[in-house]
Amino acid sequence: MLLDSLRKYYQVFVVSISEMFVWKLNFVLWRVRVVLQLLLLYFLWSTVFLQQEVVFGYERAQILTYIISVAFLRSFVLSSRSVDVAGEIRDGELTNFLLRPLSYIGWWWARDAADKVLNIAFALVELSLLWFLFRPPLILQPNIVLVLAALAASLIALILYFYFSFLLSMAAFWVAEAWGIRFLATMTLEFLAGGFFPLDILSAPVFRALQLTPFPYMLFFPAKIYLGQLGVGEVLTGFGVLISWTVFFVWAVQAVWMRGLRTYGAEGR
Amino acid sequence: MTRALFTNHYPEGTSFAYSLITKYLNVWWVSSRAAFSTALSNRAGVVLFLAGKIFRFLFFFLFLFILSQRTQALAGYTTTQVIFFFLTFNLVDVVSQMLFREVYWFRAQIVTGSFDLVLSRPVSPLFRSLLGRIDILDLLTLPPLLILVVVVGVNLHPSSLSLVAYLALLGNALLIAAAFHIAVLALGVVTTAIDHTIMIYRDLTAMARVPIDFYKEPIRGLLTFAIPVGIMMTTPAKVFMGIFEWPVLLYAFLISVAGLWASLRFWYWALKNYSSASS
Repeated sequence: MLLDSLRKYYQVFVVSISEMFVWKLNFVLWRVRVVLQLLLLYFLWSTVFLQQEVVFGYERAQILTYIISVAFLRSFVLSSRSVDVAGEIRDGELTNFLLRPLSYIGWWWARDAADKVLNIAFALVELSLLWFLFRPPLILQPNIVLVLAALAASLIALILYFYFSFLLSMAAFWVAEAWGIRFLATMTLEFLAGGFFPLDILSAPVFRALQLTPFPYMLFFPAKIYLGQLGVGEVLTGFGVLISWTVFFVWAVQAVWMRGLRTYGAEGR
Repeated sequence: MTRALFTNHYPEGTSFAYSLITKYLNVWWVSSRAAFSTALSNRAGVVLFLAGKIFRFLFFFLFLFILSQRTQALAGYTTTQVIFFFLTFNLVDVVSQMLFREVYWFRAQIVTGSFDLVLSRPVSPLFRSLLGRIDILDLLTLPPLLILVVVVGVNLHPSSLSLVAYLALLGNALLIAAAFHIAVLALGVVTTAIDHTIMIYRDLTAMARVPIDFYKEPIRGLLTFAIPVGIMMTTPAKVFMGIFEWPVLLYAFLISVAGLWASLRFWYWALKNYSSASS
C-alpha cells in the first residue's frame, strides 16, 4: 500500500525531470543566472581581502568557503517550485489535483525533489568549474561529525523552506495577487538567511534578534556548522530552534490548507 | 488629448513629425494611465512590492556600507564612492525598468498569439512592446533615489565637466539598456524556448552594483566591452568622480549607437520571420 503510494510520487518525480529536459536551454540559462549572482559575491569578497587578512573575524579562506557553501546550499534548500502553487489556486487549476487520488503537498514534494536533484547536479558542475578557474582557498572540513551535522541541518532547512514557501503561496486563497507577499519574502529572505554575508558580522543585538527568526537556519546555520565555527551548545540550540520552526510551519501549512480549501471557489474553472 | 489619438486630421501648420510625436505621446500617456489604474487596483500588492524593492535596496546598501567602512578603501574607493557606484547602478536600473517594463510581458503575448493584436494596430509594434507603459512602482522609487544620488554626489565635489559628462553617460546608458531590451524582444519573437531572457539581463547588470574594477580579467573585460554593463553603470560614476578614461568614453558612445543599430536590425529581422502562435 505504502509502496504503491510512493510509486505515484516517484512517477511525478520522473515526469518532472523529463519536463525540465524539454526546456534544456531554459534550464541552462537559469543556472547561468545563479552563477552570475555567485560571481558578484565571490569577487566582492575577494576585493575585501585584498588589503586585509582578517575581516569581521573571518579569514579569506573562511569567507570564500562560506560564500561557496551558501551557493551550494541555496541550490537545494531555497529551490522550490511551490512558488507556482499560488497561480494554480488563483486560476482554479487546483481543482484538477483535488480530484486526483494523491496528496497535493506530496505532489509538490515530488516535483521539488526533481528540481533539487537537477540543481545539485548543476551546482556541483558549476562550482567545480569556478574552483578550476579561480582556485579559491577553500576549507575542506576534516571532521566528519561536523559534515554530517551540516548535512542534517541542510535537510531540515530544506523541509522548513518548503513549508515556508508553500505557506506564502497559500495566500492566493484569500488574495487575488499573492505575488506581492512572495516578492517581499524573497527580497528579504536572501539577506536574512545569510545569502550575501555571514550574519554574525552584524551588530550583536541585531544578530541575536535574527537568531529568533527561521531565516538564519536556512543557509547561515548549516554553513557555519560546516566551517566548524559553532560550539556544541550553539549547534544543539540551533538545531532546537530549527526543528521548532519546521514543526511550526508544517502545522501552519496543514491548518491554513484546511481553512483555504473552505474558501476555495475554483474561480477560472 | 485622447481624441487626437483617433483622428487623422492634424492641426493646420503642424508638421508630420510633430503629429507623429504627439500621436505616440498620446498612446504612451493613455497606456501608462491604464497601467497606473491596474497597479492601483491592487493596493496591498503595490505596498508589498514597494517594500520588497526598498528592503532589497537597503540591505545591499547596508552591506556595502559595512564592508567599505570596515576595510577603509575597497579596491581604492572610499565608502562614499562605493555607495555612489551603487546609487548610479540603481538609477540606471530603476529608470530602465520604469520605461521598458512592457518587455517583461512580451513573451506571454508571443506564446498566446496576442502579439497579433499589437501588429494590427496603427502604432509601431516596437514602440508598443518596448515603451508600452510606464511602471508606476519604479516611478515611485525614483524621487527618493534621485535625492540620495544628489546628497551623496555633492560630497564627491564633481567639476561642471564631470557633472555634464555623468548626465550624458546616464543618457547613453539608457540607450544601451534600450538596445538590450530590443534584443530581448527580438529573441522573444525568434524563440519561445527561453522565458527569462530579461532576467539574465537583470542579473548581468546586477554585477555592476559594485564597480567592475572588483572583477578579475577576463570577466572585467567582458563586462566592459562584450556586455557593456560596466559602461552603463560604472563609467558614469567614475567620470563623476573625475576618473576620465578617454578611450573608454569614446567606446561608451560608440557601443550605444552600434548596439542600438544592431538590436534594431535584429528586431526587424525577427519581425519578418514572426509566425503567429494563434494562426
